[in-house]
Amino acid sequence: MSRHVAIVGIGQTHHARRRTDVSQAGLVREAVDRALADANLTIEDIDAVVIATGPVLFAAVNMPEKWVVDACGARLKPVMRVTSGGGTGLAGALAAYYQVAGGQYERVLVVAYDKLSEGALQYSISTLYDPFWGREFAVGIMGFSAAYWRARMDVLGHTEEAAAMVSVKNHRNAMNNPYAHVRKEVTVDDVMKSRPLAWPIKLLDVPPISDGAAAVVLSSEKMAAKSTDRPAWIRGMGYFCEADNAPARSMLVSEPLALAARRVYRSAGITNPRRQFDVVEVQEPYTCFELSYYESLGLCAPGEAAALIASGATEMDGDIPVNPSGGCMGANPIGATGLIRIIEAAAQVMGKAGAHQIPNARLALAQSGGGWANLRGVAVLSA
Amino acid sequence: MMQAPDSYLIERPPLKTTLAMAYTLTPGRAAGTFLAETINRRMVGSRCRSSGLVCVPAQDFCPRSGGADMELVAAPDTGTLTGFTATEAGIIATIRIDGADFDFVHRILGADVGALSIGQRVQAVWAETMTQSILDISGFQVVATAPLGRIAPLNEPAPALPSKPYALDLHYEHAFGPFYGRLFDEIGSSRRIMGVRSSSGEGVLIPPREFDDISFTRTGTWVALPDTGTVSAMSVIHLEFKGQKEPPPYIYAEIQLDGAVTRLIHSIKGIDMSRAAELVRPGTRVRAVWTDSRTGSLSDISHFEPIAADDAAGR
Repeated sequence: MSRHVAIVGIGQTHHARRRTDVSQAGLVREAVDRALADANLTIEDIDAVVIATGPVLFAAVNMPEKWVVDACGARLKPVMRVTSGGGTGLAGALAAYYQVAGGQYERVLVVAYDKLSEGALQYSISTLYDPFWGREFAVGIMGFSAAYWRARMDVLGHTEEAAAMVSVKNHRNAMNNPYAHVRKEVTVDDVMKSRPLAWPIKLLDVPPISDGAAAVVLSSEKMAAKSTDRPAWIRGMGYFCEADNAPARSMLVSEPLALAARRVYRSAGITNPRRQFDVVEVQEPYTCFELSYYESLGLCAPGEAAALIASGATEMDGDIPVNPSGGCMGANPIGATGLIRIIEAAAQVMGKAGAHQIPNARLALAQSGGGWANLRGVAVLSA
Repeated sequence: MMQAPDSYLIERPPLKTTLAMAYTLTPGRAAGTFLAETINRRMVGSRCRSSGLVCVPAQDFCPRSGGADMELVAAPDTGTLTGFTATEAGIIATIRIDGADFDFVHRILGADVGALSIGQRVQAVWAETMTQSILDISGFQVVATAPLGRIAPLNEPAPALPSKPYALDLHYEHAFGPFYGRLFDEIGSSRRIMGVRSSSGEGVLIPPREFDDISFTRTGTWVALPDTGTVSAMSVIHLEFKGQKEPPPYIYAEIQLDGAVTRLIHSIKGIDMSRAAELVRPGTRVRAVWTDSRTGSLSDISHFEPIAADDAAGR
């Protein structure tokens, strides 16, 4: 029987397109200091540290965990690095969750970051393609993502207008997020008329490229009260994978995400996600993914995502608000993004989301994923 | 020995690839100030206000206490040899600058490794041309009479260097193995695209592989696929980015060759690109257009182009 685990401290940097005042290590330190302060702890209280970063090619430093150890106070502590593309932040949190739930440690710090201004992003991401088979045609994951969005249009009705509404909603929500660096409202018309990058993906379907870091402190039930009387309890967390080029892979509905959701919902007692969740934070690398996730997460049936966004149900004042923080549209430091989704979901159930707080939020869902749609996971958090 | 159905030993040399990555790295306040001050031939260190320990070159975080409250200080360019080794690139040494509590790594110049010993006094040799890198110090030379320097306050430091260009050229050699080997041999020699039957026998897996991804059992016999297929997903690429192989616009396509149950990634051309989104869609029938060269790679197919719906071999 695993132990109950709580998030007792959260922290993130004020994300930016480019931070030239701090190194990668300096970014890490800002997030760690904020999370520790939020948890009413010092680094002395932390038993182990998980360092989560995106692909090494993003930043040109191999084994960056050795470099940032001094910056996150991990000297002479158990340290491990976790990396899983866009899902890095969630995978890092999951690694820490196992350590506390399994009884190994009482408190584990997770810090996730990327400093994307420093490298060539799409080129780096393209290296996830097989060098023999398709890499020469890769456009990061943008070409691939756009291609399957185009396929979902025909089968599931995920129109350009529906995706534009995601962009409008998330841009508007980011206005209330002090950590977002893109704070600019857009209209459906602006999105539709924005420059095509990998049609149907257009400029305003795409989040910014960001420098940023995020950190959380996970605690056992026994120690949680020292930090807060209002932690975010982890009710379940999972991260699933599908085969890369297997015959059964349709890529219309995200099968690994649907699987992760099904498993985690079962352990968390979720039978009607749309009614039970008060708030959802998803990682939308492009707007089209948020539509797809509505369906994979069971917020609506396959084919109903466009109607769901159009109904306003996922707006701040809707019955199932998605991305009150603005999601990736406000900031997208890829390696940190999954952990930021968890932080935002935790902030909601801890009642400290500030201007983008959903009133009385008690049950929250966070989603993240990596690879070219083959690794997907969720976390369920409760007050 | 791998049991590959109908495959044979492949004599292909490995696939050589290069990743040429450009970066602009941010050194941060401490290292950035160090790099900004080398032009003045000043060594910048940092003293941790909680541990009192000094790093040279300067660091943002104390390696002992983890403290972030670091005072930048002026350090001498003299120190002591604490370790050394002879390499093809010369003598590499660890050096403890006078007044510092931690070592750093640099070169020893103008010395015979046999004449070196731990504890010898060394002094920095500054480069003629400054490039705002650690190599603005060319190296250290043994100076038996080098005076013992001391840490001093750093007066009016130059603003930290905000960023620094950097590049990685990474060269790889990927082994083909029997499956990719035969696939690309046959593409190069006979313009045939070879897959293997899935273990259930229902459909052909391409690229060919030893194990079926779903059943994790061995795959079946080799099958030649036609060079026609159906678009399963497509996007119109307008984005320009580093490392791109051809100028946009072009169509990124995932194509299911007739008889295959997996996808092949390629580009689609031969159409009026201003109408790309309407002319090519999921379900569009396409055929490979081969180049004149026979390199034995997917690039031997120049691109795919649409064909009439009822055309060619197929379903």
